[in-house]
Amino acid sequence: MFSYLFSFDSGILTYVSFLITNIAIYAMLGLGLNLQWGFTGLINFGVAGFVAVGAYGTVVLSMRGVPLPIAMMVGGLLAAIFGLGLGIATLRLREDYLAIVTIGAAELVRLVINNESLVDGKPGAIGINGFPLPLANFRPDIFTRYGMVLLLTGVFGLALWKLGDWGRRRLGSVRESKNKVWLTAVTGVGALVLVRADVVVTMAMLNFRDNQVVNGLLFCSVLMAALVFLLVETLVRSPWGRVLKAIREDEEVAKALGKNVFSYKLQSLMIGGFITGIAGAFYAWQQSNVYPDNFKSDLTFNVWILMVLGGAGSNPGVAIGAAIFWIYTTLTRDLSKLFPMIPTSQIDAFRMVFIGLLLIGLMVWRPQGLLGNRAELTLGK
Amino acid sequence: MEQLIQSVVNGLSLGSIMALSAIALTLTYGILRLSNFAHGDFMTLGAYLTLLFNSFGLNIWVAMVLSTLCVIGFALFTEQILWARMRRGRTTSTTLIIISIGLALTLRNSIILFWGAGPQNYDLRISETLNISGIRVPFNSFVVMGMAIAAIGLLHWVLQYTKVGKAMRAVADDIDLARVTGIDVDRVVVWTWVLSAGLTGLAGSMLGLLEKVNPNMGWFMILPLFASVILGGIGNPYGAIVGAFIIAIAQEVGAGMSQTLGPLYVTLLKNSFLYPIVRLMSADYKIGIALVIMVLVLLFKPQGLFRGTM
Repeated sequence: MFSYLFSFDSGILTYVSFLITNIAIYAMLGLGLNLQWGFTGLINFGVAGFVAVGAYGTVVLSMRGVPLPIAMMVGGLLAAIFGLGLGIATLRLREDYLAIVTIGAAELVRLVINNESLVDGKPGAIGINGFPLPLANFRPDIFTRYGMVLLLTGVFGLALWKLGDWGRRRLGSVRESKNKVWLTAVTGVGALVLVRADVVVTMAMLNFRDNQVVNGLLFCSVLMAALVFLLVETLVRSPWGRVLKAIREDEEVAKALGKNVFSYKLQSLMIGGFITGIAGAFYAWQQSNVYPDNFKSDLTFNVWILMVLGGAGSNPGVAIGAAIFWIYTTLTRDLSKLFPMIPTSQIDAFRMVFIGLLLIGLMVWRPQGLLGNRAELTLGK
Repeated sequence: MEQLIQSVVNGLSLGSIMALSAIALTLTYGILRLSNFAHGDFMTLGAYLTLLFNSFGLNIWVAMVLSTLCVIGFALFTEQILWARMRRGRTTSTTLIIISIGLALTLRNSIILFWGAGPQNYDLRISETLNISGIRVPFNSFVVMGMAIAAIGLLHWVLQYTKVGKAMRAVADDIDLARVTGIDVDRVVVWTWVLSAGLTGLAGSMLGLLEKVNPNMGWFMILPLFASVILGGIGNPYGAIVGAFIIAIAQEVGAGMSQTLGPLYVTLLKNSFLYPIVRLMSADYKIGIALVIMVLVLLFKPQGLFRGTM
């Protein structure tokens, strides 16, 4: 476990790069869902469907020669349109209808990519591979590599600064010395993880040519996750975001103030869907071949648990939730090495039982998760 | 034509199971104000418990009764530790939905943990298939329909003629009004769970007669079941029966469309404009048919065909 934090063994470094990429992708997924559920109160149980639309949209277009950034944007737009269709049917009505319809629609999407042939007349069930990956043929010179390091260090530095700021403010408000020790320890571990991540990405960028596919995706996903984070933070702090929160707390109040609640909900579902679709493109690139089985409902609930755990309604919380989720996944993956006699399907089932129980427990005892604001989430209840 | 009748007959036997399950869902939805997303997995639990008792060498019918009792017991257990305390805390309906999906995940994956992910069969004597002028009807379908009619008859009697049933309808209409007229609401809640979980467990066990027992069997029923409930008016058990039969028959007729139309189906499939609609009418996309009906209902008649309680 400590080797992930301190070792400079090249195998470990590659694995940590892989972890950082995954955390970035799942953080994007969580941020998209957080806009829908955390800020607007929309129950989207079809995250896997949005991811599939974004992933397949991007992959199929890029295989037909569309440049990757454009293909990715179109994939995101398709996911947003998918959200538009589901929203029009359900968002005027009771809140549970969206939940029901998204479950069915995600399953339908999975059936379509399984049964239809989308590329070269090959059956969908065998999946798609050999599609273009970002920066796979990129040969950066030394200055470009330093530029990339600078950009990513900027991202992690900003996170570190925010963490320090948060720690200092909380430390000022906490009185008991026991809590002070805890807070210092948590901030310290967070800082250590961020510094380690920065060291790993720096080494990866400087030795970009060692593994162009992995390093290229690492660069793009961290940068995109940071952009998405800034986008949603700006959105939820704007007047538009405050209307969303008002709708989450009490729809009638927002209506009485003359806001078109249906339209705001639809926008939130679509923008959240767009972000999920973009994350879907990265999800496909990260797998480097996509199968219909990658888009089962387990994916949806993994994203739900990381969002609820980190703190619905808090974007930094969701990012931390994504990190915790992947640390948990890594540890339980090592578990299967310890017990090789248990088949992996049983271990996966065990993981999902735990996730289900955790979801129930959090909703019962701590609906605000780690970083959410309880007073805000349970106003008047 | 023969194929069309065959599809309708298939729809009737699937519809009987869905009707029982949809009644159960509409009762908890309308009376307890709980949209229970773990409902499908309660059905799966019923099927697997029947499988378990059956594997002990018990007769299948005895196994189904025992399994139904166990599902009722499990539902009352979740009521005790979860739903009762959530109701006292006036939890919002969206929180309840997320709790129920957590329960669904836990149940489904516990089943995989204990029984494995592969499909299994009850230990039955090979049942014969009757051939009525070209229409093939498995003997089990008759059993399923007969049991469904009996269960629905019993439910009708409970709801209309017993004190508990009348109290349940009163609570469904207005819980506060029911309470001030002196109805023991807690007792009604328990009875609702008993009836609802009983029907769910039975429906799940019966589904195992028609198809292989597998961990996802109930989860994939969630959308058609909710669609039936909404089509029939939430909280209206008779509406749920009608809704379930409409959806089940539509699904089976759609699934059999390529055989019904024969060569015409292939011709229509070649028309790229019609392709999505024609392609949807196939066994590959049963859930798509339920989804389309659900969306149409939400767009044009969201209050359902019959008067609901919500």
